Amino acid sequence: MRENGYDYSVVRGFAYSAMFWLIVGLLVGLWLAAEMVMPKLNITPWLTFGRLRVVHTNGLAFGFGLAGIFACTYYMLQRLTRTRIAFPGLAKFHLYLFNIAIALAALSLFAGMNTSKEYAELEWPLDVVVVIMWVIFAINVFATLIKRKEKQMYISLWYIIAMTVTVAVLYIVNNLEVPVNLFKSYSLYAGANDANVEWWYGHNAVGFVFTVPILAMFYYFLPKSTNLPIYSHRLSIISFWSLVFGYLWTGAHHLMLTPLPEWIQTVGIAFSIFLIAPSWGSVVNGYYTLRGRWDLMRSNYLTKFFIFGITFYGLQTVQGPTQGLRTLTAFFHYTDWVIGHVHMGTMGWVTMIISASIYYMFPRIYNKKEIYSIKLANLHFYLILIGQLLYTVTLWIAGIQQGAMWKATNPDGSLTYSFVEVVAAMHPYWIIRLVGGLIYFVGILVFAYNLVMTARKEPETLTEPEPQTV
Amino acid sequence: MSIENKPITFAILSVVVILIGTFVTMFLPLMLPSTQPVSDYIKPYTAVELEGRDIYIREGCNNCHTQTVRPLRTEVARYGEYSKPEEFAYDRPFLWGSRRIGPDLNRVGGKYPDSWHYVHFKNPQEMFPKSIMPSYAWLAKRKLDTTYSFKKVSVLGYGYTKQEVQKQIEAYKAKVTSPDYPAKQARDAVTPPELRGELTEMDALVAYLQKLGRDVKRLKQRGLTQVAEAATTLKNPYDGNAEAAKEGESIFQGNCAPCHGKDATGGIGPNLRDREWKYGSSDQDLFTTISKGRPGGMPPWQNALGTDKIWKVITYIRSLQEK
Amino acid sequence: MGWNGWAYLIFGATLVLTFIWIMFHYYRPKRKKKVEEPKYRMLKDDDEG
Repeated sequence: MRENGYDYSVVRGFAYSAMFWLIVGLLVGLWLAAEMVMPKLNITPWLTFGRLRVVHTNGLAFGFGLAGIFACTYYMLQRLTRTRIAFPGLAKFHLYLFNIAIALAALSLFAGMNTSKEYAELEWPLDVVVVIMWVIFAINVFATLIKRKEKQMYISLWYIIAMTVTVAVLYIVNNLEVPVNLFKSYSLYAGANDANVEWWYGHNAVGFVFTVPILAMFYYFLPKSTNLPIYSHRLSIISFWSLVFGYLWTGAHHLMLTPLPEWIQTVGIAFSIFLIAPSWGSVVNGYYTLRGRWDLMRSNYLTKFFIFGITFYGLQTVQGPTQGLRTLTAFFHYTDWVIGHVHMGTMGWVTMIISASIYYMFPRIYNKKEIYSIKLANLHFYLILIGQLLYTVTLWIAGIQQGAMWKATNPDGSLTYSFVEVVAAMHPYWIIRLVGGLIYFVGILVFAYNLVMTARKEPETLTEPEPQTV
Repeated sequence: MSIENKPITFAILSVVVILIGTFVTMFLPLMLPSTQPVSDYIKPYTAVELEGRDIYIREGCNNCHTQTVRPLRTEVARYGEYSKPEEFAYDRPFLWGSRRIGPDLNRVGGKYPDSWHYVHFKNPQEMFPKSIMPSYAWLAKRKLDTTYSFKKVSVLGYGYTKQEVQKQIEAYKAKVTSPDYPAKQARDAVTPPELRGELTEMDALVAYLQKLGRDVKRLKQRGLTQVAEAATTLKNPYDGNAEAAKEGESIFQGNCAPCHGKDATGGIGPNLRDREWKYGSSDQDLFTTISKGRPGGMPPWQNALGTDKIWKVITYIRSLQEK
Repeated sequence: MGWNGWAYLIFGATLVLTFIWIMFHYYRPKRKKKVEEPKYRMLKDDDEG
């Protein structure tokens, strides 16, 4: 690294962390899918479904998701500000602390230390570590922004700022708890209030981890990899404000028809429908960027990752509010349908965008002309596309059957099916889901191989960029 | 005036924007009693039940089982009475869950005898060959750790003394280790001999499951007698209170005046100023008349007005008669 | 109208006005060049000058 060049070591570190936790998280997911087909696989207490499921969700959302977000953020931040990262040493410490925290998180969740609040299961000592880690990250983000050499902030930086401040608020408020000892605590809130706070957090964790930073990547890496300017910067700004304003109102759509006061549920679903507008603002912006240049879908291997990714985002943001409507939630909630919905977002939108962003960055942070193999990247794309579609479509079909069987009644008003009969009916779907997951996993292995081989390629002509001095 | 050049101002503005929705849908409800009503009928968990609840949390049971019955016909038919907010006043954290890989458990208390749970935990597939629930037989091989039981109930503010906690633990231990315990055979089949005289983690978990929904079931048995009880045991808390009478007047105008007249001199319903009462004139009588209704046209108002407003209306009516 | 009625009305009106202001602010033809500038600048890598 040259003295005043960009610091890519932390980008590399987080990119590999993302790959590592992605593979671990998917292996756990496959094991869970297999347990649903073969309950005998619940071999030991720490391999039981109840403990393992939180390792899967935390490992992928925070191990893979956040590592990918940090990698791309440290890259975009430097490039968009044309400034070297403010505190490279601190960023390195962030990388180590992050991996230690995720490893401890996985171990403690295997051991059954969890608060039970979804996506906030970590016990309080780890919450403290996470907050410290986030503050370190925020310091670097803001210090670099203040030092920046590029005057106007591009939209991706807006999204990064919004994520940085909002995740801090969400995480701290939802994790307020009273410790009993080092390994056990109780939530500060009770009953319906606890539920309301949790889903305010839970839904916005989706919003500000799985949406906002991923949009930052989309707005940056799509123009960069196609060399086409984004269709409208103004539209992206309007979408930005509407999105960050609207998201915080919607948590209660996870609590439809529960004992939560009805007005909160109604507000939640009303704002969920409102959110379709800014979400599709980004979708349209992406599509219009390619107007007249749709040939890039064939000639530029990264374009299809971004366009399919944003399409799944668009579908996700219509499906979500729709299934939250009282009439539909009464049928779909608690079924496999919702699992299908979530996995379209995570396996389709989030992973496709992070994959493509890492493909774009890798040759640049390793001073290579191109990745190891575009052919393998295409194979990776089709495997994760097919795996994801097989997974999600199967679970939607399963969810419809499940919901219908739970509701089926005899002419005298009694229930047609016992609960376990419905479980048995799901068996074939769960086998297909496992197959979908396996195909997807193979695709991710191809991805990892391609990245490692890119890093190991013979050095090519170095054009390490220098930050521009204004 | 362009914030796109000022990252710190921009960050502060972002926080303000996200806090608007947060305030209305999250902070505000925390302050409202309607979000977390408290009812005398809902009792906190005993120390043993709470330990069982912590095992439920530790094992992540909430990842497959919900604890909210929604007010939908088939759901009530499958699980029982739909869930009410007051039931969860002592639940920290809440355990409503988001997924039903297994059935809802909010009404499982008392649904089956203890022995059912011991047999089921030992090997769910023995009872239901198609079940995909893991075996939890190993919970019976672990002695229940009660080191922190008192500290736990103290943190949660259940109000038990150290002695009471000890007594609860001893009492439950005596119950499950007694030779007369109805589930003795099932318990012994899964509990190793050296732990049969002790409390195991499975014992606590069973205690917790049997508590779920129990208070609501009791409340339902008492049925509507609750309203009558309130009337016979309570006096008007606003008796002679001019402000309450004024509020009562506006409630009266909005609900009662269409039948009893704007000035309460009668119409479809009888005159309320003439001191003639068909069903008695005591506070209790008036309360019962309004809350439960009377034959011949007076509808019940308990659900529409609630106890507090009914008393205010009574205060208003009394103030008319004093004139 | 009670105080909460007024609060609701003012809150709603403020939202609508803010939205109109944001639209007006960013979509004024005069500002177009400035608002749209970053999307071209981000494409220029510093290694290209």
